[in-house]
Amino acid sequence: MAQEQPLLLAVMPPSRGQVRAAAVVAAIVLVAFLAALPFSKVQLAVLGPFVAVVDTILFLGDVITAALLFAQFSVVRSRGLLVLATGYLFTGLIIIPHGLTFPGVFSPTGLLGASQQTAVWLYAFWHAGLPIAVIAYAVFPDAARFSWLQQSSAQGAILAGCAGAVALAVGLTLIATLGQSMLPSVMVDDTQWSPARMVLLQSTIILPLLVAAMVMMWRKRKQSILDLWLCVALWAWLLEYLLIALTSTRYGVYWYTGRVFGLLSGTLVLLVLLSETTKIYARLALSVMAERREPEGRMMSMEAMSAAIEHEIRQPLGAIMANANAGQRWLGRLPPELGEVREALDCIAADAQRSSEVIRSFRAMFGKRYQPEAQIDANELIRETVALMQRELEATRVAVQLDLAAELPRVPAHRGQMQQVILNLVNNAVDAMRGITDREAVLRMTSRFSDSNGIELIVSDTGTGIDPQHLERIFDAFYTTKPNGMGMGLAICRSIVEAHGGTLSVSPEVPYGSAFRFSLPGREMAVAAK
Amino acid sequence: MPKSAERPRSTKTDFSATPHVISIVDDDKSFRGAIARLIRSLGHSVAAFDSAEDFLQSNRVNETECLICDVRMPRMSGLELQSDLIGKGYQLPIIFVTANPTESARKSALAAGAIGFLNKPCNEDTLIALLDEALRGRSAAR
Repeated sequence: MAQEQPLLLAVMPPSRGQVRAAAVVAAIVLVAFLAALPFSKVQLAVLGPFVAVVDTILFLGDVITAALLFAQFSVVRSRGLLVLATGYLFTGLIIIPHGLTFPGVFSPTGLLGASQQTAVWLYAFWHAGLPIAVIAYAVFPDAARFSWLQQSSAQGAILAGCAGAVALAVGLTLIATLGQSMLPSVMVDDTQWSPARMVLLQSTIILPLLVAAMVMMWRKRKQSILDLWLCVALWAWLLEYLLIALTSTRYGVYWYTGRVFGLLSGTLVLLVLLSETTKIYARLALSVMAERREPEGRMMSMEAMSAAIEHEIRQPLGAIMANANAGQRWLGRLPPELGEVREALDCIAADAQRSSEVIRSFRAMFGKRYQPEAQIDANELIRETVALMQRELEATRVAVQLDLAAELPRVPAHRGQMQQVILNLVNNAVDAMRGITDREAVLRMTSRFSDSNGIELIVSDTGTGIDPQHLERIFDAFYTTKPNGMGMGLAICRSIVEAHGGTLSVSPEVPYGSAFRFSLPGREMAVAAK
Repeated sequence: MPKSAERPRSTKTDFSATPHVISIVDDDKSFRGAIARLIRSLGHSVAAFDSAEDFLQSNRVNETECLICDVRMPRMSGLELQSDLIGKGYQLPIIFVTANPTESARKSALAAGAIGFLNKPCNEDTLIALLDEALRGRSAAR
């Protein structure tokens, strides 16, 4: 198996090229900021549709980003991602009332019974929401921690997140419209705000949140692609904040530039998510196609292998046969030619020896690969393997029960081969349980201590079980009960496990199903087994 | 059915009485030696070569009455030897004996006029019958 590079956006570390790209974007934003600075007093035209257009783009961008993040969450199951996705959804939703109540967009005074203050407060809520979500995302344990098997389903969590975002947006809109008398007034007229009030508003609420979010993401910036670009987005927001803080009028250079920064930061994460997702999808599609061809490749190389073995064995056998026949004939002569007979027999013995050498060297060719390489944590391996099979398990409605011993000792093993064994056993279990309707399909994986530092792993199912007559035969090569099976899986598994010094066996489960158990010795035993 | 010691050793025709010149081409030393031993025990005169080129360069090419030849050999293969001999006008009957029987090799060998195409290990009776057929045909052609 190739390196264990996680192909998930939320946990994939950024490449150097991406870090450089992020730095470049951040620098461009800074340059634009500095370029706008001299024009503090310049007023530009009041573009009525500007706010509507920007808000629409941001709304779409945030909602799509939220959808992509929810999708990531459904696979990675990290609470931080859920909160971030909810934050993006809220941010998108709150744009709607902001646009509706902005004076001059839909009506001179804004809809929803807005006063002059409504839009600016909605802006405040809007710009507070995402930093809070980012802080929560940064605070929650690493997305890389793979908390795969939280029992609650992802769908429920996503729905809860969406509902929460909607409720929050609605609630805050109500406060900003109906409860606006409770909020301190900030706007002086339709296009100007009181600088003192605005600065107060910004610095007590928005600035601390932004700075805190920025600091936390800066520390995380190299951890994943998502984290890196969240950093850049926050940077653009910070500069937007500064521009708004340094001016007191809408539609000035600062204001326009600030809104453009907001636009950038809002779409940045989305663009990165989309492009990276497409790249990963393409890579995954290619590797799935390669894997589909793999059984053919394996069949072809088995074909080539067996042709080679055939050739190497037929030669000595042919010679043995010819020598034996020749010996009989020489013996049948009158008088018998004993000298020739003796030579024939000597050659027969030599060729028999040669055949057994051929077999031994073929075995050695295979045997060399099964060497334990590192100390592995079997519980982690089991969890990872179950996670890999997750879609398959859900599609076939198989319930998974894990009964893993805490503090299981690490054992020396070749990780990839062990995973192959577990995957094979799990696949067999799923196949055995296909189509059963009268009872629950349960895949149970157990790990426990075994004597002298070793461990024992059990994969059991509630499927159709194995005919007791064939119980031992299933480990034979080329024995299969599947129409398309080759019969090599269990034979290879047993050979891998035995090369590690362990044993693989099967027993029927009561009342139905089978249990495959395999043991792996601890360090001392494994050394002795070599 | 296991062969018993009482099996008649004489072949069906009387060609075994006359020693014929048989050549063997095979890159596997022990098989070459074994077949040579067997053919000698039938009373023929045998020369063994370890490659097709050696055989072609020897002076046995004209005298050989039957060739027993392997298919897969380094450099010139058995089938290439066959077409070379045909091209040079030799009417040498060939019996192929191979450790890698493939349908395509069998078809082309037989289509080009080989007397037989056998797998290793080869059945003694079959080999002898083919040998007789080859020698019979050869002397009929004389």
